[in-house]
Amino acid sequence: MQERRRSLERRAVATTFLVVLQSVAAIFFIADVAGDIAADGWNMHLLVETGATVALLAGVGFGALQLRLLILRARLDETAVAAARGAMSDLVRQRFLDWQLTAAEADVALFALKGFDAAEIAHLRGAAAGTIRAQLARIYAKAGVHSQVGLIALMVEDLVDGDAIKPAEAKPQGNNG
Amino acid sequence: MSISPPPNPDEGFGKPVRPRRRWDPVVKVTHWSIVTAIIANALFTEEGSGAHIWVGYALAAILALRLLWGLIGPAEARFSAFLPSPRRALAHLRDIRVGKKEVHRSHNPLGALMVYAIWSMLGVIIASGIAVAEPPSTAFLDRAERSGDVSPQLVVEQGDHDDDDVPEGAGGEDSVWEEVHETAVNLLYILIALHVAGVAFETRRSGREILLAMLPGRA
Repeated sequence: MQERRRSLERRAVATTFLVVLQSVAAIFFIADVAGDIAADGWNMHLLVETGATVALLAGVGFGALQLRLLILRARLDETAVAAARGAMSDLVRQRFLDWQLTAAEADVALFALKGFDAAEIAHLRGAAAGTIRAQLARIYAKAGVHSQVGLIALMVEDLVDGDAIKPAEAKPQGNNG
Repeated sequence: MSISPPPNPDEGFGKPVRPRRRWDPVVKVTHWSIVTAIIANALFTEEGSGAHIWVGYALAAILALRLLWGLIGPAEARFSAFLPSPRRALAHLRDIRVGKKEVHRSHNPLGALMVYAIWSMLGVIIASGIAVAEPPSTAFLDRAERSGDVSPQLVVEQGDHDDDDVPEGAGGEDSVWEEVHETAVNLLYILIALHVAGVAFETRRSGREILLAMLPGRA
């Protein structure tokens, strides 16, 4: 997630430099065309050059609009992740309370939610793998699941609204069929 | 600015996202490009030379882009976020006197006045610069190439105007624009000094955020 936001930001910065460069190029052409018109009046060559200049200006305008979308998207991404993170934290804390996990069990359960297996958690907590496996078993029992996947699914289930996601994904297929 | 929930130190979900002041890349890049252009034309390019005029045009383009961004950019970069208001500026002065610190999403009211002052001054400088260097033509590039960077015909022409054999009318008009250009530039230097002093003051008053917001890496 963090990586994606950073890549969006990098794209925004690169586009900014491009748009700035385009604006400088545009003003160069504007000055050139204005000078030529002042000196020689209108002719075919200048007409074409004016067209190119207008196109360049339009490019600057569209580039700026594109840039705005890019920046807003990066920010929306950030706020969405922050909101989801807050909601997830609340949910996890609530569930751990519901299941009456001890402090140590809550710690282990958190690692389990993040996808670590028993050996890794043992290493992270400096405990024996057997202890962790026993704690995991107690956690699963309290949560009423049989595996780590079950534990994770329990959390995700409450957060993901399948109906909210489906229509957007399913519609194009429906139109094709 | 969005307010994030208080941090939960007991949970391992990473650092909470703190609300922070920030400028988008367009504001940053245009700001520092204008700084570069002003420094270049103040210190390095010969007055009236091709390079000087070209840098001036580039500055005009960047300023135009920033003004366009003031219409279509994200909320805090828009004019609507920092409309000039003497009333709010006075209120801000009162805040400073009583030591009240308010977080501004965009420029603070005093800063906004400074922004408009600097932009208007740049506008005057650009307009008078074009008037002096007329007609606008890319020929100045060729001239610069022909005689190195040192001021080409343009300066010679202007020198001619000052001589007695030129009727006062045309020469006078040109020198008026030159006068405007130079005065505006000197006023701009004063504004820049005030701007830097203002940022330094605000940094001491309310922390480094204001300074960091314009530096790269926090888009």
